[in-house]
Amino acid sequence: MHAVRLSMPLFFIVLSVAYGILILQLPQATLGDAMAPLYFPAAICVGLLLFSIIDLVQVMKKKEKAAPEDLLLLVRRSTLTTIGVIVVLCIIYTLLFEYAGFLLSTVTFLAALLFYLNGKTKWRVNILVTGIVSLSTWYIFSQLLEISLPAFGG
Amino acid sequence: MEWSIVIDGFFTALEPMNVVWLIFGALLGTIVGILPGLGPATGVAVLIPLTFGMNPVSALILMSAIYYGALFGGSRSSILINTPGDGSSIAATFDGYPMTLKGQAGQAMSIAAMASLFGGIMAIFGFIFLAIPLAQFALNFGPAEYFMLFLFTLSAVVALSTGKMIKGFVAMFVGLAISTVGIDLQSGVHRFTFGVPHFTDGINFIVIIIGIYALGEVLYNMFPKKTDQQPKNQTIGSKWFTKEQWKRSLGPIFRSGPLGFFLGVLPGSGGTISSLLAYSTEKQLSKRKDEFGKGAVEGLVAPESANSSAAVGSLIPMLTMGIPGSGTTAVMLGALVMIGITPGPLLFENSPDLVWTLINSMFIGNLILVIINILMVGLLIKVLRTPANVLYPIVLVLSFIGAYTLGYSTIDFYLLIAAGLLGLLMRVLDYPVAPLILALIIGGEMEQNIRRASIIYESPQAIFFASPIATTLFGLTLLSLCYPLFVKLFKRKTRKGTGASM
Repeated sequence: MHAVRLSMPLFFIVLSVAYGILILQLPQATLGDAMAPLYFPAAICVGLLLFSIIDLVQVMKKKEKAAPEDLLLLVRRSTLTTIGVIVVLCIIYTLLFEYAGFLLSTVTFLAALLFYLNGKTKWRVNILVTGIVSLSTWYIFSQLLEISLPAFGG
Repeated sequence: MEWSIVIDGFFTALEPMNVVWLIFGALLGTIVGILPGLGPATGVAVLIPLTFGMNPVSALILMSAIYYGALFGGSRSSILINTPGDGSSIAATFDGYPMTLKGQAGQAMSIAAMASLFGGIMAIFGFIFLAIPLAQFALNFGPAEYFMLFLFTLSAVVALSTGKMIKGFVAMFVGLAISTVGIDLQSGVHRFTFGVPHFTDGINFIVIIIGIYALGEVLYNMFPKKTDQQPKNQTIGSKWFTKEQWKRSLGPIFRSGPLGFFLGVLPGSGGTISSLLAYSTEKQLSKRKDEFGKGAVEGLVAPESANSSAAVGSLIPMLTMGIPGSGTTAVMLGALVMIGITPGPLLFENSPDLVWTLINSMFIGNLILVIINILMVGLLIKVLRTPANVLYPIVLVLSFIGAYTLGYSTIDFYLLIAAGLLGLLMRVLDYPVAPLILALIIGGEMEQNIRRASIIYESPQAIFFASPIATTLFGLTLLSLCYPLFVKLFKRKTRKGTGASM
């Protein structure tokens, strides 16, 4: 549990170091002060690193304290599986969207998500919600609001 | 002030199409607010694409209606199922839910609606008299003053992350770091774009906002305890409050309205603090202290009046200076920029019609909300029974549509997913989100202003003393950063004092 709590400040420390490396690789400006584009990111980098280290020290000091309820729930295998599956489905949706367009990818995504969360027993609700939501959102955005949502194929 | 513009704004707000958008937004906002887990920020963020293609006035009316509709809705779920829709509705659970347990749900909802209405109206009058002087004052702001104002806003928001100031700073710097992605406007240097053309204009902060609020919220609601939280069957009882309840409410409503308004105007304080402060103030003043927490009507109306007026108050710095004081106004600011409205002091000079139509629409919208919330109680309760496993997949799809319509690129989908995971982890590990969002939005402007100011004043340190306004704002920044320390010292002194007296 403590490792999960440490992970966030550690992640931010790694992020600030990576950000610092990227700042050093930035090209210099050809107009005015050559270093001008670097100053603001550099200040942010120092601030992020400093406060992440303080945060890490504070988390390490609070080792004995009981973990918050939300954290205990998050690290449960069932919660991690559910979140993992949802994230994977979101990534598949992203990949599919580019090639299959809005309607086909949304129907697949919603159906997969609803069947995963509600199970097969509620198949009527799952199919109904998938159909109504996919078609109505496409109609509202694409036809009524004239926002380009590729129906089939990107 | 030219009253003819105000009156014109009233008639523009009453145009049939604007009234339709107003009713639609109020209803949609109420539904979003009533659903546990979805607050005004999520509601506005997910529904931003609806405003694309609309004229700016209607878009602004719709967004504001969603905003205060969600605030109204948030307290409905607090009263009925003891689950606040968002932070500003927490105080409504203290006495609202006990009223429901006593079979007075209908009365609680109608009197809360009236408190919100009066709170909102008081704040609208405050807006009318305060917004223009503030906008005129903001015309004196140059790059140094703007930079100091941004710095003060950020420090105030971080300082108010009570008990987690260090985490607040971390979140703020992450937001600032994200804001540096894209082409540097003054030198043309590409920063952190990794050769991806889509990042040349920077990362669209609305994608991050939708990710953190909507996707993060959906993932958070997948926790076992969240899905088990099904609303119980409630008896509504009488839909109208009694004379005695109204009499007891008048004082708290009229005290909490102005309090909420002034706290709303201050950056960072927002609805949550104003409603909690209104509750504790009313408890201190009440002769029936022992009834608080057991269904005292004063304990319900005071926070409702305060959070409604704080919502209007928070629009003042957003519209007059482009400073979002809360998560929701930050989302709204982003949406305004998307539809081509640039908030700032000149907005009142260049588009007074837009501003006054908005103000008048808020007045009409508050009345509509009372009607919706009193007459449609039964229907709204049915909304509460929407199964989470059906609702959240729909929110996910809307989030993806929102992200897609902002830049027509699936690269934003990856950002959305990453932001969702970041939002979830930040919530679970107790990192405040507001500093990240605010820093992300104002980061770009902050950098441009400090660079412009350093050219004008030739050294960065001179910016702090560039003018009395800049110095005052610098002082306020230092004060806000010391605020948690003062609170700690004050608490220690009070504890010692009470200890001594005992």
